[in-house]
Amino acid sequence: MFAFSEQAEKEIEKILNKYPEKHKQSALLPLLTLTQRQEGHVSPDAMREIARRLDVSPAYVQSVASFYTMYTLGDTPVGKYTILFCINISCQLNGCDELLDYTAKKLNIQVGETTADKKFTLRREECLAACTGGPMMRVNDTYHENITPARIDQILDSLK
Amino acid sequence: MADNEVTLTIDDQTITVPKGTKVVDAAKTVGIEIPVFCYHEKLGSLGCCRMCLVEVEKMPKLMTACTMDVGPDMVVKTTTERVEKAQKGVLEFTLLNHPLDCPVCDKGGECPLQNNTFKYGPGDTRMDFQRANNLKAAPLSPVITLDRERCIACQRCTRYSEVIEQDRALVMLNRGFHNEVGTFNNEPYDTRFSGNVIDICPVGALTNTQFRFKARTWDLTNSDTLCAHCGCNCNMTLGVRTNKFMRIESRPNDYVDDGWICDKARWGYDFLESKNRIMEARTTLDGASKTLPVKDAAAQAANALKKIADEHGPGSIGFIGSPYGTNEELYLYQKLFRQQLGTNNIDHKVYAETPGLPIPHYDVSEIETSDLVLVIASDPTEELPILDLRIKKVVTRGNAKLAVLNDQSTLMDRYAHLSLRYDIGAAAQVFAALANTLAGEKGEVQDTGITGEQLNSLMDMLKSSKKTTIIYNPAALTGQSVDVLKHLLSEIGKISSMECGAIPAAPYTNAVGALDMGVLPNYYPGGVPLADAEAVKQQSGENSPLEAGLSAMEMIEKANSGELKALLVHRANPVVDFPGSKKIADALKKLDLLIVHDMLETETSQLAGIVLPSNGPGHDDGTTTNIGGRVQFRKGGLKTTNAPDWKIISMMAKTLGDETDYITSFSVTDEIAKMVPGYGDISKKSIKKMGLARTAAQYQNGTKPDSAKSQPAKSDGLKLRIASYLFAHDKILDADSRLAHQFKPSTVHLHEDDAKKLGLKNGDDVIVVSGDTQVRAEVEISGKCNPGGVVLPRISDEQGVLGLAGADGISSVEIRKA
Amino acid sequence: MTQILFKDINKKDLHTLAVYEETGGYKSLKKAFAKEPDEIIEMVKASGLRGRGGAGFPCGLKWSFLAKDVFPRYLCCNADESEPGTCKDRELLLKNPHLLIEGMILCSYACRIETGYIYLRGEFYDLCEIMEKALEEAYAKGYLGKNILGSGFDLDIHTHLGAGAYICGEESALLNSLEGMRGEPRMKPPFPAVQGLYAKPTVINNVETLCVVPYIVNEGAEKYAAIGTEKSKGTKLVSVSGHVKKPANYEVVLGTPVREIIYDMAGGMRDDNQLKAFIPGGSSVPMLRADQVDTPYDYESLQAAGSMLGSGALIVLDHTVNVVETSLRLVSFYMHESCGKCTPCREGTRWMWQILHQIQTGKGEAAHVEELLDICDNMSFKCFCPLGDAAVAPVASSIQNFRADYEELLQRMTANTV
Ligand SMILES: Cc1cc2nc3c(=O)[nH]c(=O)nc-3n(C[C@H](O)[C@H](O)[C@H](O)COP(=O)(O)O)c2cc1C
Ligand code: SF4
Ligand code: FES
Repeated sequence: MFAFSEQAEKEIEKILNKYPEKHKQSALLPLLTLTQRQEGHVSPDAMREIARRLDVSPAYVQSVASFYTMYTLGDTPVGKYTILFCINISCQLNGCDELLDYTAKKLNIQVGETTADKKFTLRREECLAACTGGPMMRVNDTYHENITPARIDQILDSLK
Repeated sequence: MADNEVTLTIDDQTITVPKGTKVVDAAKTVGIEIPVFCYHEKLGSLGCCRMCLVEVEKMPKLMTACTMDVGPDMVVKTTTERVEKAQKGVLEFTLLNHPLDCPVCDKGGECPLQNNTFKYGPGDTRMDFQRANNLKAAPLSPVITLDRERCIACQRCTRYSEVIEQDRALVMLNRGFHNEVGTFNNEPYDTRFSGNVIDICPVGALTNTQFRFKARTWDLTNSDTLCAHCGCNCNMTLGVRTNKFMRIESRPNDYVDDGWICDKARWGYDFLESKNRIMEARTTLDGASKTLPVKDAAAQAANALKKIADEHGPGSIGFIGSPYGTNEELYLYQKLFRQQLGTNNIDHKVYAETPGLPIPHYDVSEIETSDLVLVIASDPTEELPILDLRIKKVVTRGNAKLAVLNDQSTLMDRYAHLSLRYDIGAAAQVFAALANTLAGEKGEVQDTGITGEQLNSLMDMLKSSKKTTIIYNPAALTGQSVDVLKHLLSEIGKISSMECGAIPAAPYTNAVGALDMGVLPNYYPGGVPLADAEAVKQQSGENSPLEAGLSAMEMIEKANSGELKALLVHRANPVVDFPGSKKIADALKKLDLLIVHDMLETETSQLAGIVLPSNGPGHDDGTTTNIGGRVQFRKGGLKTTNAPDWKIISMMAKTLGDETDYITSFSVTDEIAKMVPGYGDISKKSIKKMGLARTAAQYQNGTKPDSAKSQPAKSDGLKLRIASYLFAHDKILDADSRLAHQFKPSTVHLHEDDAKKLGLKNGDDVIVVSGDTQVRAEVEISGKCNPGGVVLPRISDEQGVLGLAGADGISSVEIRKA
Repeated sequence: MTQILFKDINKKDLHTLAVYEETGGYKSLKKAFAKEPDEIIEMVKASGLRGRGGAGFPCGLKWSFLAKDVFPRYLCCNADESEPGTCKDRELLLKNPHLLIEGMILCSYACRIETGYIYLRGEFYDLCEIMEKALEEAYAKGYLGKNILGSGFDLDIHTHLGAGAYICGEESALLNSLEGMRGEPRMKPPFPAVQGLYAKPTVINNVETLCVVPYIVNEGAEKYAAIGTEKSKGTKLVSVSGHVKKPANYEVVLGTPVREIIYDMAGGMRDDNQLKAFIPGGSSVPMLRADQVDTPYDYESLQAAGSMLGSGALIVLDHTVNVVETSLRLVSFYMHESCGKCTPCREGTRWMWQILHQIQTGKGEAAHVEELLDICDNMSFKCFCPLGDAAVAPVASSIQNFRADYEELLQRMTANTV
């Protein structure tokens, strides 16, 4: 069964205050984000709960959630650290493809997978708005720009 | 040209259309077809498929004709080279990942994609890549198949779910190229109206599982008919092949159904081929049961009735007709019993409705132009489903407000601006209070569960409305409350700033027709009251019986006391459907003669001495009058060797000396037009396309509110409200029904106060008891009714809830742990 | 060098209210409140400020289009920044959040708006936290909330995070997303100024656009209008990325030749390679050739050269690049980001990707190039929203300007089979 944490409940109160009472559906993305961050994924149970709170159908929640790439729908959580690796034009011009391969090899997974110890999830990502610092990757909420193999080693090794 | 009209040119034709018309629809008015996929008149514009691109002078880009409103002096071109190139391009995109499996597709022959491709498409495809690998046919529900490979992502179905059904059960999942139609967590899409997506899907992505691979569409014989399940009388098409029932589709009529049908219409016709059909006449009059030709059985029945009437007087026989019969059947039966058998013991119902309204009888489409819809004691969603869609439409997409006055909560409350719940049994008092308040007197609402303040808000809504439609379900009103309601309607009618009308929304197919045809103990056809002897004689002849007849429940009582000797029951099953159930069976058993004329074997037909087969809907032709007073033709489709009901009745009449010859059902319709006030304009021709509203009967009575009191409970048990459930498991939706997945367990809704008192919690197994009747149910603690009441939806025949009801409909029940 | 937005951008702790105020922050409010709202709109009109989010629509004009007398109205700041190559809003939000708040207050006052939302792309979680802090400070100081600085004007500003969808940068998709829907674009009309957020009149502006407004109010419209060219006024933040020595965001006076931006500001080509092509306004605009490098960087000149200023992302490609790969990468992006609502975009992006992928991997056919151009034509201006046109831009322009690159790959293929 899914439940929001106590901390999340406080957040929810704040979130709901942002939107007009009649339009609490606006809180859908924020609640999904809360869930994703709390659980590492968004389960059907969670979607049902969000639907109940916002007075929409669970199918609607899934419809919206599945449109966006930052939610992991289903029952399998992402790793403790999600590495989003920008592969778009500016980064590509600066060699991101090789670095992505390098990272995948280092973690011993395919792009899109999670390491066996559930620590890292590696994803190919479209432009993350750090084009002048490409190649770049985002590890959870932190941007790392101008990365090199050595920087990648250093960053990943420093993560506990 | 009026202010609200616009004149424009499309392909050199000048057209004037109402403001706000979409270019695509404007073109249609002059026969110019602009191809579409995503656009559907009832869903409004989305503009996603891009099939409808046209050139508009002064606009640099091609425009989508389905999203663009007409503008003054607009010049539209639909066949230029640019347009044709664009159409080819869009079709090429559309077909890129669409399998070319037309030869095995159920949509073949009626597929917009196929047609558009033929007319506007590229000759061949340049796509030499692997097509997308989407799932082939898979069940979307037990009755709908979804072939994702064929889906062109036009979103018609998902928008239907959002805009029309408004429960967002069918949605678009994922994004971009991975877009797909689906449900939450792959659960079945099994709403009340799910099937309409099949009709609106422009490709073969959503198909009727029942029809899959059964026949090619062009091999079907389609019969334009009506649904016979409820009082909406939605228009539909019955597809038949080699006299086998194939499928049902919607057939739009804006006056009636707004283009939709419910799933009971689409999949609730398996009874056409039920193994329980009565196919032969049979009699036990000469001892053991034996079959006999229908003609002989009809003669035997008529003679036997006549004999009893002669021996014991006409008051010793009676007729219980059915609100499911056609006007022709009802008319002929009352004529037979009155003119040939001399009795007014004629009825078709167990509630207290009378013909006529003190305010206009509104057509269903009047709802669209109302700014207030007041729903009283009615649960459209379960009782008259298509009405539910219409109300939701005007409330959410139009300008109407919804007020609900009921003793149970319904799904309508979700859309209501004001929703008042009175105590079960307090209807009459509440109506009286409101009527008094409107009349400027004091309205007493003590002990009714609602407050004076609430009543005032309702009154304010009424007073600030310009046009109100009042929808009430007479079958859910007990005791004298219908009469009080009519008094209330007349008070509402006095609000001078407002137009108003009512829709008497009894859930049965032809409840209005049955009243109009005079299948009543105290009214002749057209609402002519027995009391007005002159009028009766003028209408029906000098020899018309004038003695007041017995109502259906009185006939049962007299059967029990032995005063009623013979009864003919047409298309009704009193043993299950009348209050008291088991007691009814006991009474019927005491009759000297019970004749049942029905379509399917029932608990009542089992008791009959003579059984006559009724072909019923799908087979017989006839007219019915819907809740909006619209008379329409219900065509048969399947052939049978048995005589139609109207003919059987006419055979009985002939046996007793009636000379009239009817050639088709329309011969009877013509007689109705002559004989029944209000039906003068009804003819084969006049009702052909959209049906025709008959003129409502005159209003006769209405009880003064002072006498209205809430009905006292007979014991200190809980007051029972029997609610309807659309997919009840009965003779029509039997165990073999393809809607069996919609059957529900027996559930009793309790208020939490009462549950606490009784020490019950959600899910507890209980028995609901009244007298010696017991009904098993599971407890659901909900706000469905006020404290002191229980709501028990009728979910099957077997459940036997009517056994709990008292003769006047209301009763007190006790709840015990099972 | 005229610096308006980046004047103090690298000042330590500029993101705090205290430091921001030291630099003159929030001074414009008093000035604005002394005027009638409409006067502010007139000022912004007179300044010639055009939207910096991509379409370049005159900002003051947009504000004046709000449906008359319909309230409440909303302001949505577009901080979705997801146009490949663009990262200037991120720098503003990260380093100078109060500038945006100040700009939003001015816009709201001018347009009689009482609620504003900052729609940040989901990946800007860190920026959202910075923004929240800044908002808190602004509320505490009375710059937001009820009766701001005693003016009688009320304003609330909230942040709202997206969740990974480029299309949500398109203004109507943004509104849908903010309303808790799928980020599919809406039909226009009605335009947001008439029926936007919650079907109410709504202003949608890019971060950078709003950040310019305090300067206009402080210094006057004339002063702003004096900067730049005749029709392209003011400065523009340009994200210079790709094969240059010093990729970064530069504040450029409109009209500055592209050559100057690449060679002077960004330090020239990396490894002193030869310039081959540049995409002047983000991935959605056509690429230009090296011989067009003297084009002035302004709306009109870039358009005349066959491209657009777009979001102001200058992506620089050197001679080592084969543009087929560039097109493939960008089309892959548009395929991934197409919302899927309309057929040409949903199907066309994938089809183009399939063809480009074949060419790129040496399996192309000669006819493919013309086929691509025809697909481009069938998509151009026939999609529901401009994303489809954006997807066409790299393909059509790369074929137009660098057909040789395609031919080279196709010949390699023929060579292989012979
Ligand atoms: C596909 C697409 C993506 C867009 N992405 C952004 C974006 O990330 N940020 C932005 O400010 N504007 C973006 N826009 C432009 C917006 O639709 C809109 O024009 C802009 O936010 C208006 O603000 P402005 O007038 O201040 O430029 C995008 C437009 C399209 C068609
Ligand atoms: S299933 Fe049919 S109606 Fe639904 S989106 Fe696909 S093509 Fe359209
Ligand atoms: S019918 Fe017009 S876009 Fe689909």
